[in-house]
Amino acid sequence: MKLMKELWNYREMIISLVKRDLKSRYKGSVLGFLWMLLNPLLQLCVYTAVFSVIMRTGIEKYYLFLFVALVPWIFFSTCLSGGTTIIFAQKDMVKKIYFPRQVLPIVFTTSQFINMLLSFIIIFIVVFFSGIGLHARALVYLPLVMAMEYILALGITFLASALTVYFRDLEHILGIVSMAWMYLTPVLYDISSVPEKYLPVFQLNPMTPIIIAYRDILYYGRTPQLGTLQSALLLGVLVMAVGGLTFKILQRHFVEEL
Amino acid sequence: MKDGNAIEVKNITKKFKIYYDKGRMLKEKVLFWKRNKYDVHWVLNGISFEVKKGEAVGIVGHNGCGKSTTLKLLTGIMYPDGGTVELRGRVSSLLELGAGFHPDLSGRENIYINASIFGLSRKEIDKRIDKIIDFSELRDFMDDPVRTYSSGMYMRLAFSVAINVDADILLIDEILAVGDVNFQSKCFQKLKDIKKNGTTIVIVSHAMEQIEKICDRSIWIHEGKIRAEGQPGEVHREYLAYMENMRRENRSPLEGTEKQEEKREKERDAHHRGTGEARILSVETLNRSGEKTKVFSTDESVIFRVYYEVYEEIKQVFFGLSIFRNDGVRCYGSNSKADGMPAVTLKNNGFFEVEFTENQLLQGKYYLDVCIATGTEEMVDYYDTVDGFEVYSPYGDVGAVRMKHKWELHVGEGI
Repeated sequence: MKLMKELWNYREMIISLVKRDLKSRYKGSVLGFLWMLLNPLLQLCVYTAVFSVIMRTGIEKYYLFLFVALVPWIFFSTCLSGGTTIIFAQKDMVKKIYFPRQVLPIVFTTSQFINMLLSFIIIFIVVFFSGIGLHARALVYLPLVMAMEYILALGITFLASALTVYFRDLEHILGIVSMAWMYLTPVLYDISSVPEKYLPVFQLNPMTPIIIAYRDILYYGRTPQLGTLQSALLLGVLVMAVGGLTFKILQRHFVEEL
Repeated sequence: MKDGNAIEVKNITKKFKIYYDKGRMLKEKVLFWKRNKYDVHWVLNGISFEVKKGEAVGIVGHNGCGKSTTLKLLTGIMYPDGGTVELRGRVSSLLELGAGFHPDLSGRENIYINASIFGLSRKEIDKRIDKIIDFSELRDFMDDPVRTYSSGMYMRLAFSVAINVDADILLIDEILAVGDVNFQSKCFQKLKDIKKNGTTIVIVSHAMEQIEKICDRSIWIHEGKIRAEGQPGEVHREYLAYMENMRRENRSPLEGTEKQEEKREKERDAHHRGTGEARILSVETLNRSGEKTKVFSTDESVIFRVYYEVYEEIKQVFFGLSIFRNDGVRCYGSNSKADGMPAVTLKNNGFFEVEFTENQLLQGKYYLDVCIATGTEEMVDYYDTVDGFEVYSPYGDVGAVRMKHKWELHVGEGI
């Protein structure tokens, strides 16, 4: 509670660091802010080209099937692997200035989250014109799913950032882990193609229900099942609790370890 | 916490682990966990002090004594292993200036970022922004990206933010060396104003005179404990006297390691010029009792012993010696001819000594130039040494040397 109050007092720091992050990312490039939209659009073009011309799958409009899952996945995996560097990157600040250390993972996750939201502008446009259309009843659930993913990603960022201070090669390990994790999450394929005996593994994966929910809403245009949402929330909160607690304990000795 | 106290520190201890073989990697930690042996080094061994609201306290001590660690524990950057630290009010620390500055963003944007890191809300920053800009004297540059600033401008901007946070407790670590002399005195004045307004201040510094000007009390931390506490002037005299003793025991930072010594030997050639029949090998600085040392205090006798090597016989030789301060000012120079010594003939290697009884040099670092010359003013060897020595002065006067003087005060007698 005390921590929450303190973080609230430092909200301006969170806001201005997120702004700094977003502003500086494309500063100096000719197209500037447009890159935030152009990037996902170009990505989508590549997928469309590859999967509707070269590697054809049995899934209808596979590029969309993939894209609505891939964008949320990239947000998550960036938090997992990119989260490792955030304490080091602000080393001087951490060593010299007092502020609740939780600010740094929150800033990172939030600015990645905003990036994802911008990609969603492209998703909406493409989904709208692709013939699938946007379904209002399903879309109501989208903010909820996004919020759940945010909580999960924040928990993961807490974990990754705090542990890397103590075990530096985690940075490389998590790169591999994030790749393997993607194949163990129904991003490239549908959950229905997973053999029954492996399903329990997938159900323990906190990203599984989230990806399924995104796809339900945007690709199938239907409301996600209650069970999916429940397990997404449960797993997300669990990871968040573990991550938050780990960070709180480990941050006490950040300065000595850096 | 007692009423009227802003800071209470009770019996804090802090240890650092010093690993023999630091395994940073997960792999190493798992495979070689037995190797992860470490020494425990207690930086702080139970320090307690209180600071009243509105009081200014200086912390002094030699490098590694634990004074910066104490400050870090006060800010909350580090946690003590034992004991408690309590602070009342908003804390601002001037440990790192310009935190979070982004070179591509404008001065104004960076003020907002930097101030927010001190925990200010947007409203609070809006209220202070004019004060900050005025103080920095950078109003015309506010909308330029910070990367176009000179380093002086950068520091001025950073300091202006930090000093205008309006904290209840201000913690400062050795940073009053910002910008030019004018800005420095402005910062100093501001600090005094801040103190007058009732802000509690804790300063860690090597600059004793700064502490003496601002602080009501000084704490001398020595090897993790408080060694003395009280009037800044008194504590500092005690501390300086102790440091001088330490240096006499030849623990001077000027003393190089053997490797450095070797390297210096090689560089030496570059410092000789002359006809070269003889050459100066080395210069030793000795104190009255003949012990080698590089640190002296004003009024102490200094003996220079100069060794030379002779390659060819030379007649009509005089020796010379000059003392330079490290900023290039020649403080004194003389030679054996001028001092009325007879010329000598050099055949074999040897040495000569020059003693300055009760040297009157003031605090500073000094270097020697030594020469061997013939009576016709021809330089045999001129050696501008790389060896130096340091002088510490127990007196409060300034300049290069002490000059004999006396005061006569005619107060109230009219002109």
